[in-house]
Amino acid sequence: MTPASVPARPAKAPGFLYASLRVFDLSVGEMLWSRRTIFMALVVGVPVLIALLVRGASALGAPGLHVNNTAVDGPAIFGLMIWAFYLRFSVPVLGAFYGTSLIADEVEDKTITYLFTRPVSRGAVLFGKFLAYVLCTMIVVLPSITVVWLLVTPLGGSLGQNFPDLIKDLLILAAGLVVYGAVFAFIGATFKRPLLISLVFVFGFEPAVLVFPGYLKRFTLAYYLQGLVPQAMPNDSVVSLVQRIFRETPALSTAVIALTAITVVCLWLAARTVSNKEYVLEQ
Amino acid sequence: MSPIHDQSYRRYQGARHAVGGAWGVIAWSGIRAMLAKRAYVFLLIFSWVPFIVNAVRIYLVTNFPQAGSFLGVNPQMFRSFLDSQGVFVFFMTIWAGAGLIANDRRANALQIYLSKPLLRAEYVGGKLAVLLAFLLTVTLVPGLLLLLLQVAFSGSFDFLGKNLYLIPSIILGSLVQVIVASTTMLALSSLSKSSRYAALLYTGAIFFTDAVFNALRLINGSTRMAWVSITANMAQVTDVIFRQPARYETPWLVSLLVLVALVVLSISVLERRVRGVEVVS
Repeated sequence: MTPASVPARPAKAPGFLYASLRVFDLSVGEMLWSRRTIFMALVVGVPVLIALLVRGASALGAPGLHVNNTAVDGPAIFGLMIWAFYLRFSVPVLGAFYGTSLIADEVEDKTITYLFTRPVSRGAVLFGKFLAYVLCTMIVVLPSITVVWLLVTPLGGSLGQNFPDLIKDLLILAAGLVVYGAVFAFIGATFKRPLLISLVFVFGFEPAVLVFPGYLKRFTLAYYLQGLVPQAMPNDSVVSLVQRIFRETPALSTAVIALTAITVVCLWLAARTVSNKEYVLEQ
Repeated sequence: MSPIHDQSYRRYQGARHAVGGAWGVIAWSGIRAMLAKRAYVFLLIFSWVPFIVNAVRIYLVTNFPQAGSFLGVNPQMFRSFLDSQGVFVFFMTIWAGAGLIANDRRANALQIYLSKPLLRAEYVGGKLAVLLAFLLTVTLVPGLLLLLLQVAFSGSFDFLGKNLYLIPSIILGSLVQVIVASTTMLALSSLSKSSRYAALLYTGAIFFTDAVFNALRLINGSTRMAWVSITANMAQVTDVIFRQPARYETPWLVSLLVLVALVVLSISVLERRVRGVEVVS
């Protein structure tokens, strides 16, 4: 028997982690250098612009800032911006958009076939894309928060004293990006209209449930995330006022366990759905 | 012997329709496509829940006068009703509107549409009519019906006579809400080939401008910057239309100007983006 006639041993399929990293490698570039990054830049750029204006106004000798006739310092303004821009808008919206896009984009572009014909598990495709999403959003959102903090906090506050709060905020928002991304990745893999469902969840279900006393709020992500924020929730609307009245703060351990569990379960469910679902591409 | 068919030029022998009526075909087909979606119909029905709640309120006040002390039926109620419909307007706009032009651009259907005897204005008008039809169904129609119910339940025209301005107020207030939402959504839909991206842009336009306003309000301690938020501008103008005290310090004329500018900008975007042939330099 000549060596040529020996049937070639099939190459061993790459492991889950290796395959995920390959997909991650492929997806990072696609996600970062796309038009949607403009949207992300806008979302995180406006708070920086406002921080610059506040700092500029202060440098030009504008009178101290007041809220309800009470003077506010830099750390308080930073807290307001964390709530108004990042916690209530940027993190859930970026999570919804990117999370639901992980699989839906490939289906829409009809390129999912190419990914699924590679010798990697479908779960690894989803996980690799999820990792790329986490990296892309974090490298845009977290520096923006840091810049806002650097610009605003020195106005009547001390950088050194407030540094632990910055670290807490960064960790909470990073956790928010991860957990919202995981939930919406599952929604994206399962439902036909994932973005709409995600927006209903973020702007309909969560704010509505948080104003009611009782246990229902434990089915929201905001309950676990917002309870950990070191800064006080601002009273910028009637809804916020009611939310403050019924606000409960979960224990740190409870919040961490709940967020980890939600992330793991949602990612597992998403991977399972992607593995079992037959995606029919529109002609 | 097989017959030889004449393949030379033949005149069009179908019916000729005057230019300007084709938008109806596009609108009707869009409306039918949305009505075929059960979930959308469910949302449409669900958006009438505030109407039912207010109808019960009117019934209670007109039949049990003691209820009037805590459930007042007044012009403010009709204003609040339009406010409460805002959330449904948002979700319905996204659902029905995000793909209206984006999906046609994605399928390269614009060229096919515009190669027919169809004006660009008719195409845009048809698409706009789809959104207007659904949004007016959840704002204008229930608003006017509530007014009718008040007359029917009380059995007199006293309330209507005293507040006759409510009829134009409901019509104008609904139109402000609906026209701004529809034109903005349509313009954003024409900017992308992905309906999801268009939906996200609209969400950003609504919620992000509101977040900016809220942050500025907290930093400034005043509502003079309300003009940066689309929602706040609509609320401000609608308050004036309903003869209610304006809720923000921004002059209502400024708010109106911002809304008009937004509509003009949207029309300009549509004029640039809805073309049969895309010239690539």
